[in-house]
Amino acid sequence: MSAPKPAPGDRTVIGITFGNSNSSIACTNDDKAEVIANEDGDRQIPTILSYVDGEEYYGQQAKNFLVRNPKNTVAYFRDFLGKDFKSIDPTHNHASAHPEDANDTVAFTLKDKAGEDDAPSTLSVAEISTRYLRRLVTSASEYLGKKVTSAVITVPTNFTDKQKAALIAAAADANLEVLQLVSEPVAAVLAYDARPEAEIKDKIVVVADLGGTRSDVAVVASRGGMYTILATAHDYEFAGAALDKILVDHFAKEFMKRNAGVDPRENARSLAKLKLESESAKKALSIGANASFSVESMAEGIDFASTINRLRYETIGRTVFEGFTRLVESVIKKAGLDVLDVDEVILSGGTSHTPRIAANLKAIFPGSTTILAPSTSATAINPSELQARGAALQASLIQEYESEDIDQSTHAAVTTVPHITNAIGAVSVSESGEEVFVPIVPPETAVPARRTVIVPAPKNGGDVLVKIVEGNTHIKVTKPEPKANGDSKAAKVEDAGDSDSDFSDDEEEEEEKREKVWKIGATLAEAGIRGVKAGSKVEVSINVNADLSVTVTTREVGAKGGVRGTLSA
Amino acid sequence: MATVTVSLPLPSLPEGWLAEKDFKPIGKITKDGAIARTIEPIGPHFLAHARRARHKRTFSEDDR
Ligand SMILES: Nc1ncnc2c1ncn2[C@@H]1O[C@H](COP(=O)(O)OP(=O)(O)OP(=O)(O)O)[C@@H](O)[C@H]1O
Ligand SMILES: [Mg+2]
Repeated sequence: MSAPKPAPGDRTVIGITFGNSNSSIACTNDDKAEVIANEDGDRQIPTILSYVDGEEYYGQQAKNFLVRNPKNTVAYFRDFLGKDFKSIDPTHNHASAHPEDANDTVAFTLKDKAGEDDAPSTLSVAEISTRYLRRLVTSASEYLGKKVTSAVITVPTNFTDKQKAALIAAAADANLEVLQLVSEPVAAVLAYDARPEAEIKDKIVVVADLGGTRSDVAVVASRGGMYTILATAHDYEFAGAALDKILVDHFAKEFMKRNAGVDPRENARSLAKLKLESESAKKALSIGANASFSVESMAEGIDFASTINRLRYETIGRTVFEGFTRLVESVIKKAGLDVLDVDEVILSGGTSHTPRIAANLKAIFPGSTTILAPSTSATAINPSELQARGAALQASLIQEYESEDIDQSTHAAVTTVPHITNAIGAVSVSESGEEVFVPIVPPETAVPARRTVIVPAPKNGGDVLVKIVEGNTHIKVTKPEPKANGDSKAAKVEDAGDSDSDFSDDEEEEEEKREKVWKIGATLAEAGIRGVKAGSKVEVSINVNADLSVTVTTREVGAKGGVRGTLSA
Repeated sequence: MATVTVSLPLPSLPEGWLAEKDFKPIGKITKDGAIARTIEPIGPHFLAHARRARHKRTFSEDDR
């Protein structure tokens, strides 16, 4: 089927996030993004299809069939789209339909027709995706009261061109026009930046997208509302499923304490029940201090009920929780940055609801870093909704564009541009008379770029020097005074770093001090502003042009004229 | 973008400082001072960037 191409005026658009575990659909209403609840009332819709007597179920209903009808239920397939059979990891498909090799691509065999004699169908992962997307679109169309024609869909940053093409084709087969594929972490950043109260600032943002089967972290330079990914990391070991597994093992052991010799993990159906209920308990522990766990006929007809408190959960899950923190640390390092460079951490994905994860991250960042998670910030957006909201916002921004215009705008000729590596700024004087760098255009800013700052003139006014320089940061480490007994402090600090933040106050005082300081680099230009009034301020504007030439404009605030000059590239 | 206001003052012009039109170019950003990276094509500010790029317009032409 050829790709649907409605005229821009005839489109009804939505944002879609299509995950291995869950998907979401979102729309905008008066420029505000809103995640749509499907007919079951779910906003996080399990990415699962199930066939029972020829009837197709999707979402939570399909997920429930993992217990009674696992063979005809297909789950965790998104990452297989556009991939060779040889390169997939089927770990998460043990308890549902198994992926098969079909001419190198991936397929599943399901009995999707009612007749007793009807043979099961072998369905490609593309076909499964099409069927699933069709359900999402139907649900969104019902909600909106008109047929959805087009969508922006989020994809992981490591989705290959082949995977993207396969997704676009699968959507086309569901009669859905893909306006654009956008990367998951940046959709999350946009969801935050689009809030009316948001200020567009230059900042370094870390997006930790912690899902069910994978965790993806990206370091994003956010510059004047434009986003450049500096580094990414992907992990398939530390994700929500690993936390489910910990609870599965915990409750299985509890069960076995009462029923010696009966391991519910050894029976497929018992294991499926155990998994579903463990996931519910895990979610409950994100809000409450306790969670109850109860399964009818858990194994051999024995009912089972138990509880777990958050402290216990955090203890048994510690290795996984630490895995998330290490993943975040590793990607910051990969970007050549330090935790002190990070202004914001956006926690995205379902697993990000977990308070311990946010608390652990908070502990490795300085107090000035904002950790945007439900447990650390009252204004945090639901992490499960960020990507779909970002996709919906983008969809509404481009819905009137001709698809050729979208293609042109997203082409490398427009998106790949020089980014300056040093900051550009002015020089101020501190109270002690030292030169201090005032950043105007931060490093990793795409050109062309334009920034303005306002700096006070010397107290008594007069002729003022505006010195434009390059600048860069380094991390200054101040080691504490060695103790009288000659104890090596370095060893102590390392110890403290590994343990939780429960060391005593006086130990905390001994910690080394790390701070980010600007260093003044090469001088680019000087400008003189004459006869500035006492108490006045000076405005300094820098334009870095596409060819890397720089235009400096500076004047006394409120005064006419001023000085303007250009540095050739 | 909002204009940032800083608190520490600028220095006074040194005695005898002279330049044509009071502007003294000294350095430049070389090719080594920049690397090619990809801006994510998303959000209103990117769309404004793309519009300027496609119509070869500058910021101030775009403001008008
Ligand atoms: N409130 C909660 N507390 C803890 N974990 C949660 C909560 N809500 C959802 N999760 C977990 O989040 C994971 C799903 O994350 P998400 O919805 O972001 O899926 P996804 O992007 O499709 O995942 P992936 O592609 O990594 O499999 C599941 O492991 C789920 O149990
Ligand atoms: Mg995800």
